[in-house]
Amino acid sequence: MTSAVDTPADAARPAPPSGLVAVARAPGWVRYALLAVGLLVAFWLPNGLYPAVAVDILCWALFAVSVDLLLGFTGLMSFGHAAFWGTSAYVTGLVAIHAGLPFPAAVLAGALAAALLALPIGYLAVKRAGIYFAMVTLAFAQMVYYVANEWRSVTQGENGLQGVPRSFFGVDLSDDYYFYYAILPIVLLGLLAAWRIVHSPFGRVLVGIRDNPARARALGYPVHRYKLTAFVLSGFLAGLGGGLFAVGHRFVSLDVLHWTTSGKAVIVVVLGGIGTLWGGVLGAALVVRLEDWLSFSGFEAIGLVTGGIFVLVVLLFRRGIWGSVAALALRWRRRS
Amino acid sequence: MRRSVGVAAASAAVAALVTGCGGGGPQSGGDQKLTGDKIVLGVLNDQSGAYSELSGKNSVKAVEMAIADFKAKYGDKAITKNISVETADHQNKPDVANSKAQEMYDRKGVDAILDVPTSSAALKVADVAKEKKKLYFNIGAATTELTGKSCNKYTFHYAYDTYMLAHGTGTVTTQQVGKNWYILYPNYAFGQDMEKSFSTAIGAAGGTVVGKDGAPFPNTSGDYSSFLLKAPTLNPKPQVLGTMQAGAELVNVVKQYNEFKLRDKGIGLAVGLMFITDIHSLTPAALAGTTYTDAWYWNFDQQNREWADKFQKETDTRPSFAHAANYSAAMQYLEAVQAAGTDDADAVVKGLEGKEVNDVFLRNGKIRAEDHRVLHDAYLAQVKPQAEVTEPWDYVKILKTIPAAEAFRAPSPDCQM
Repeated sequence: MTSAVDTPADAARPAPPSGLVAVARAPGWVRYALLAVGLLVAFWLPNGLYPAVAVDILCWALFAVSVDLLLGFTGLMSFGHAAFWGTSAYVTGLVAIHAGLPFPAAVLAGALAAALLALPIGYLAVKRAGIYFAMVTLAFAQMVYYVANEWRSVTQGENGLQGVPRSFFGVDLSDDYYFYYAILPIVLLGLLAAWRIVHSPFGRVLVGIRDNPARARALGYPVHRYKLTAFVLSGFLAGLGGGLFAVGHRFVSLDVLHWTTSGKAVIVVVLGGIGTLWGGVLGAALVVRLEDWLSFSGFEAIGLVTGGIFVLVVLLFRRGIWGSVAALALRWRRRS
Repeated sequence: MRRSVGVAAASAAVAALVTGCGGGGPQSGGDQKLTGDKIVLGVLNDQSGAYSELSGKNSVKAVEMAIADFKAKYGDKAITKNISVETADHQNKPDVANSKAQEMYDRKGVDAILDVPTSSAALKVADVAKEKKKLYFNIGAATTELTGKSCNKYTFHYAYDTYMLAHGTGTVTTQQVGKNWYILYPNYAFGQDMEKSFSTAIGAAGGTVVGKDGAPFPNTSGDYSSFLLKAPTLNPKPQVLGTMQAGAELVNVVKQYNEFKLRDKGIGLAVGLMFITDIHSLTPAALAGTTYTDAWYWNFDQQNREWADKFQKETDTRPSFAHAANYSAAMQYLEAVQAAGTDDADAVVKGLEGKEVNDVFLRNGKIRAEDHRVLHDAYLAQVKPQAEVTEPWDYVKILKTIPAAEAFRAPSPDCQM
């Protein structure tokens, strides 16, 4: 290890648990270059990829970032985020079908509904931490799942909500290629919001709570209220993704609320890198693309592959892809 | 150092995955006679779950038989010899069906999708077909919504529907077995539609439905005991248990019906939808005397039998009506492309609408232009007692032929093409 103590900040934060610190400290031109590359890829994506898959990647990117906001920056492992993703999908679908609003309005309604749902669930869940928090969120998500399953007059149960329209002031968005560009600004706004939250004083407090809740409380921060706010914001972002997903597929099925959806979100974040924000975006792109590729080549046991990769990531590079690359870059910079 | 190797490998994988192979860009159509100079048929059905026996992979075989027969019939005059089959397992889930159908139309060059059992999945695929303007022949699903509210120009409902089943079975059973019914149905589009169609048919025949329950679908536990134990306690006591489950789920219901000895308690059995494969796995003894409506029977006449023999050579089993219907739909589609000289969906639809057909599956067949219901003769069948079964798979006698004009409902006013 070279230069154990570079600055006082390093001493105050030994062994950063994530790549966040590293990227934040990268010189400005590196960060702007990364941003430029990211935007270029985002604008090019549906030209090199089946557009429907590109749309899925955008939705899942938002979902992953919302989970990372809790898991990586607040230290809360939610295992029930499908509740917000799925609730928003259903609300978006219902609003789009029955009110005929343009899709961004329907998606906004869905995301608000998800945030509203996150309020009581979060209020009860943040009183617990660790595995108990995960179990409470899972329990609530399962409740939402069964409500959606039984409330057939509204959700159509097993049949799913069919025919969610993509209305947008008369513009024809039925081709996924154009739909991708229609939702890209919304997704970028969502990601920007997440970035802003993380880099605000509020976000700093969250990280403080994550690393040492007792000290945060001693410093006078209302820990529960901070956690709850983060939970609701995360629910809103997950809802934004879920609503776009519903419009993208023109269809909502019970699968959006299933616990496997929550599990997939966690896998995506772990693969991309916990507490890195952009790692979740990368993870979403990889997992969605990989699943699509496997299913396209007729491979049935997709869970086997994603599960295997998850195990490898946890065993070999626990910081995920983004986190590992960032840590490596940091080490290389220090050595030179 | 080991970590950096891992990271390098991961980065390489990232690059490979994100770019992958093409398939991007907006959709565009061509002006060729045949898109991609070939015809691709897509069989989308359940290949691992409750409905895999009655259709599943053997339907892919049936479609391959149709392609072989088409090539043999036209030889060098065939519009193309490059005809292939794509297939996928939709696991009876509408969202899997949705993405698989899109994938077939967009990326695998499929011109027409066939089969798609499970009504909820079928409705979703109809939606995709409409949007992509590509053909879809539904065989495996029964919901009348396909020719009602959800009908569209590119979707044809081929083999059967809930009206056909209820009209045959519901009427005869109410007249002959008993007027009071308890209906047990799988709680999704198919079951809900079956329940409605049967209730209507039973009411019209002078019977009443004293109770009805929707069982979860897919019923992973395979447990129906709570419903079956409830039936004898209802007031008035039902004389008929009408089960609307299908495939492997039907097998479970009938087994449990026999275990609880409901027949001895005075409750007869009526089956909404049954395939020959279900009778085979239950053995005819478990179902002897049960009357049901069939869309086709392999041993009905010499023509059917000859085709069934060919099918058995390929698959080692006798065909269900779904297998025969898949063969027929594939054949009729290829014939229509041959006649139109193009695989352009609109031209093919035009050729199919109103066409009168007779083939191994369709007897007195007609493709109704108003709602794309394919009309044909249906059959009232009864399971033989074990003693009368003289040949494997020949489990049924046909009581009567329901003429095509009576077997299906009149075009629904809900259908706006």
